[in-house]
Amino acid sequence: MKARSSSGILLSLVLFTLPAVGKEIRATVVYDDKATEINPAQTQDGTDQLWVTTHDLTRATRFEVKPQGICRDELCFPLPKARKQEFLEKKPGASDELFNLTAFASLVHQPVAHDVATSTWYFGLRSDQQQGLASLRAPDFTLPDMDGKMHSLSDFRGKKVFLVTWASW
Amino acid sequence: MKEKNVEIISVAQDTGGVKDAGKWITDAKATYTVLIDQEHLISKLYHMVNVPTGVWINEQGRIVRPNEVAFIDDRFRKFTDLDSAPYIDALKDWAEKGDKSVYVMSEERLRAKLAPPDPNMALAAAEFGLGEQLYKSGHGAEAIPHFKEAQRLNPKSWNYKRQAYALSSEKDYGTTFLEEVQKAGGSKVYYAPPELPKASDAGNKKP
Repeated sequence: MKARSSSGILLSLVLFTLPAVGKEIRATVVYDDKATEINPAQTQDGTDQLWVTTHDLTRATRFEVKPQGICRDELCFPLPKARKQEFLEKKPGASDELFNLTAFASLVHQPVAHDVATSTWYFGLRSDQQQGLASLRAPDFTLPDMDGKMHSLSDFRGKKVFLVTWASW
Repeated sequence: MKEKNVEIISVAQDTGGVKDAGKWITDAKATYTVLIDQEHLISKLYHMVNVPTGVWINEQGRIVRPNEVAFIDDRFRKFTDLDSAPYIDALKDWAEKGDKSVYVMSEERLRAKLAPPDPNMALAAAEFGLGEQLYKSGHGAEAIPHFKEAQRLNPKSWNYKRQAYALSSEKDYGTTFLEEVQKAGGSKVYYAPPELPKASDAGNKKP
């Protein structure tokens, strides 16, 4: 009985002190090196937190909110049940839920860099994108040649590949 | 260089893309695959810190020699003081013998060399990516603090330094490329010679 009442107090404290949504802003989200303008997004003053609608989440990252978690193609990251309110919030009257993209980045060990002046958030490689090297498998990539034709490392499977970088600088 | 048993994929790490790298590609008249990597994706995925960096990948898509200084000609010999011949010979040996080549690294050694980056390096890559994005969207001045932050978080990356200098000027960073090379310990550190087994060891490798 005692435990229940204290968790009730805790819950109301959390709801009271953590208004997930603060100021409406315009934001540029760079995900997989692709820039998407989001207007409006929401942040809390003095923090790097970025909330976007679930619609904008999919537009910017191709991830979708599903019952089993945050998913894209076969990839799915479950949200810890007890911490759901850190990631998702529905404002009364709003048609779309809001999703905390920066909290999600921290959950999946994805580095985030933020530029305040231009309101730009850059999301780096998630930890699942960095696992290739530990398995000794060469991470796959797809890049254009000078004529814009795309080539993937996986196109070369069955052959030895000498991969070498250079630069004009 | 042309080696019939090995496909060469040469990737330009150039934020400016074809505008900056194109002339070099046209002039080289390469017969192998040359790709343009405006976002330095290969450096990010493979944790590379300099150019040229080479990786050997076998028929199954597995890395058999990870990142190392990889000169396949002597155009920059004056500065590098590195003879490209031993590296080219090693590549030829691999082309012929495949996974049995003495230059293919053991799994243990590969694992030690391919350890995951520390969180600072991952964050450095994000700061660098943000800088590139800002530069490309016309915010060159706003990009500079993020390039500086990337350099601070991963001081071993020459790519972060040199690409940033090339996009504006060394003056914005209060240093010069040559000063930075000196500070790091000279060209032998800047271009560490590849660790190749001695030729006399070749052929004595246990299966």
